[in-house]
Amino acid sequence: MSPPSTPAKSYLNPYLAGFGLGLVLLSAFVVMGRGLGASGAVNSTVAATVHALAPAHAQAHAFFAEYLGDGTVSPFKDWLVFQVIGVFVGGLLSGAFSNRLRVTVEKGPRISTLGRLVLAFIGGAILAIGAKLALGCMSGQALTGGALLNAGSWAAMMCIFGGAYALAWFVRRQWL
Amino acid sequence: MAVNAPFYRFGLFNDEVSLIVAFVIGIGFGFCLEQAGFGSARKLTAQFYFKDLAVLKVMFTAIVTAMAGLYLVSRFGLVDLSLVHLTPTVLVPQLVGGLLLGIGFVIGGYCPGTSVVSAATGRIDAVVFLGGMAAGVFGFGEVYPFIAPWTKVTNFGVITLPGLLHVPYGVVVLAVVLMAVGAFVAAEWAEKIIGGVQPGPDSLTGSVRRFNPARILAAGLVGLGLIAAISGNPYREGRVTIATRQLARLAGQTAAHITPGELSSWLIEERADYTLVDLRTADDFAQHRIPGAQNVPLAALTDTVAPRTEKVVLYAQDDTQAAQAWILLKALGFKAAYTLAGGLDAWNNEILFPAKPAADTPGTRAEFAKRVAVAKHFGGTPRGTAAPGQNDLPALAPPPPPLLPAGKAGAAPTKKKREGC
Repeated sequence: MSPPSTPAKSYLNPYLAGFGLGLVLLSAFVVMGRGLGASGAVNSTVAATVHALAPAHAQAHAFFAEYLGDGTVSPFKDWLVFQVIGVFVGGLLSGAFSNRLRVTVEKGPRISTLGRLVLAFIGGAILAIGAKLALGCMSGQALTGGALLNAGSWAAMMCIFGGAYALAWFVRRQWL
Repeated sequence: MAVNAPFYRFGLFNDEVSLIVAFVIGIGFGFCLEQAGFGSARKLTAQFYFKDLAVLKVMFTAIVTAMAGLYLVSRFGLVDLSLVHLTPTVLVPQLVGGLLLGIGFVIGGYCPGTSVVSAATGRIDAVVFLGGMAAGVFGFGEVYPFIAPWTKVTNFGVITLPGLLHVPYGVVVLAVVLMAVGAFVAAEWAEKIIGGVQPGPDSLTGSVRRFNPARILAAGLVGLGLIAAISGNPYREGRVTIATRQLARLAGQTAAHITPGELSSWLIEERADYTLVDLRTADDFAQHRIPGAQNVPLAALTDTVAPRTEKVVLYAQDDTQAAQAWILLKALGFKAAYTLAGGLDAWNNEILFPAKPAADTPGTRAEFAKRVAVAKHFGGTPRGTAAPGQNDLPALAPPPPPLLPAGKAGAAPTKKKREGC
């Protein structure tokens, strides 16, 4: 991908972007009776991969078997999997529309590319475990559960901000 | 017929169509995240250094918009709010999980949704982040059998802030709107004082003397909050909404049953995500019942038995009464009502007093040993070799009902996991 000749457009006013996001979430409530999510799709993908590589292991394991169901329906035929494919397409369309498609590694000036990628991997792994324990991630708990006034979601949301602020100082070299 | 939403819950379209809906909603979600700048890890993490509090602004504007909008469409009759899915509150694992989510966020630079958007716009670190998530899920899955009991402690079931605080739903809506607007003003102040960023023309607190979109939006949301605070309860109390077409379709499915075997394993695992209802008379219930059941005689069954989004398992002596109660709950809009296939009779025959299989092979012996262990867990005893029609049920104090020939229980498919995120 060569860098587009036209400069990237600036980001949308956060309040307007949030309003748009809120309308998308509201439409999910009205049409489906459920909210948004993302991490569940990763879970389905991992369960399906384990099943493909070691079927007996996946079936014997309560955790993976839960995502595989009774085997009559593909684990990919799932609401969250299709929704996340949509998120990818939506992000791509928006990026193309605003001239923001660039192959890069995003990082602050004080960290090496390899260091950034290692931290991205570690952060992803920690976050995935957190999402399993919290029964959802920022989209499923903070955003969706927050709008539904779900008590556990608000507790988890406060901990998300608390955890991130508490650790921010130690990883500042990665970003600033 | 009045318009009833959530459309999917009232059977306006099937599971296949719901996947297309998911894709379309996902596009909207991804588009908004990217437009907000959330494809960029540095933009996201700037939140935690007070340089740019866009995460807070976008997230809370979205929460408040969807919350106030959902209140209005529910209060004025379009949406049955009790049919919108809520995940249960499992407090301690959620607090620990929340901390890990925050830590993973600031180390990795993304949350799951934004990493997908970031990968779509070409960032390699986001692809690696997704790989890290897959590794984390795999590792969690491997250790899950050892920590499974712990992940279920402090399960309070489905509980909302209005229910927890005993404050009317609309008043909580107004409080959250005011809190969010206050947080936005504080965020702009923090950006200015700590981050050294002056509020721009699109901000709430900038010195621009005119109505900008942010101020109009904030005023509109506060207005909706005020309407919510005085408009009363958004739930449909006791109003029956029958979606006959969907009901007929559901009634023909075996998915509406759970087998005695499944129920016994739920009880042994001490799962708390369902309500078990005994529909027989109080006398029958006092004599003999399935552990953990609550007694609600069929004639007294109403929509107050459990929240409508929760799983309810119904049983009576046999299938008939349970089927009647099931249709009533489904008509009342209960999302996850099930009957115990074969009723209490099947429970007695299969779980409490399992019959020794006629064929004696190592396989059947091992299977029978398992069933004996389950029977003993519930205080039952195994019987000798099964002889059809022979009444050799051991005496139970209080005595069990006469043994009927065990009907073939419908095999219920294992439901796939359907969680929030």
